[in-house]
Amino acid sequence: MKVKELPAHGFEPLALPDGEREIDGVYIGDLLSWVMGRAQMDNAWITIMTNVNVIAVASLADTSCVILAEGVEMPADLVETALEKDINVLRSTQPIYETAIQLAGLIS
Amino acid sequence: MKELSLNILDVAENSVKAGASLTQILLTEQDDTLTIEIVDDGCGMSADVVRSVTDPFYTTRTTRKVGLGIPLLKLACEQTGGNLAISSVTQEEDPVNHGTHVTATFHTDHIDFTPLGDVSSSILTLIQGHPERDFLFRHQIDGNVVELDTRNLREVLEDVPLNSYDVMEWVRGYLQEQYETLSEDSVHSGEE
Repeated sequence: MKVKELPAHGFEPLALPDGEREIDGVYIGDLLSWVMGRAQMDNAWITIMTNVNVIAVASLADTSCVILAEGVEMPADLVETALEKDINVLRSTQPIYETAIQLAGLIS
Repeated sequence: MKELSLNILDVAENSVKAGASLTQILLTEQDDTLTIEIVDDGCGMSADVVRSVTDPFYTTRTTRKVGLGIPLLKLACEQTGGNLAISSVTQEEDPVNHGTHVTATFHTDHIDFTPLGDVSSSILTLIQGHPERDFLFRHQIDGNVVELDTRNLREVLEDVPLNSYDVMEWVRGYLQEQYETLSEDSVHSGEE
């Protein structure tokens, strides 16, 4: 499925500069240096971290989107950075596990 | 990173890239605070560059557009309620006393504190990769000190390269021995 289809399933788009990207698999992690070496290209990446390094790691790992779980707040300047760097960011109010299960159902 | 020792390695590699002849890696553990200082005599950075190195989208690399060494170290200390400070003097500003000083402070009793990990391995990696450069490593733990200064080694070894197998093994043992003495001391003082 494409990232732009996620809002129809309850994911709140915070930045969608590149909604045409295809989601292939999911990666979950909060330790950014760990995620950097392990998230695969086109993964949807679920995290609760919200600092500028998240955008940098998403850019390096070339994930299709960042999904902020647990309804965490994202600072406004990060939304700007995400748009500038072409990084899709969406938010789920669900906990991480439930977010992952929902995504698993959507992409299978 | 899962261990701060990897962050230390990363930042010290920046010092080497900045042309430092001596890079000091100073760790101070006192009560619930850990301070990591990396001090070099490299080419230094302008005020603008100092401001931008905590931005992950700033990097001196040309192969990719993102640099995360300093940003991740900053994140690691801020996660514990600590902070990161950088000061730098460029070679143009002061032809004699130039270089960069990175200071990262951590509250070790915070639940998000990243363990220091195997610092000895980081020091060995630095010496192995840059045998022509000097490193001063000093780790103070509540007043006790573990120390290694490659300038002293060089004086004794004369023409033997620091990264030869025997020297590396000696350094490994030397650091290990000092750490073991430290932990014995703390065990003994705990028994009293």
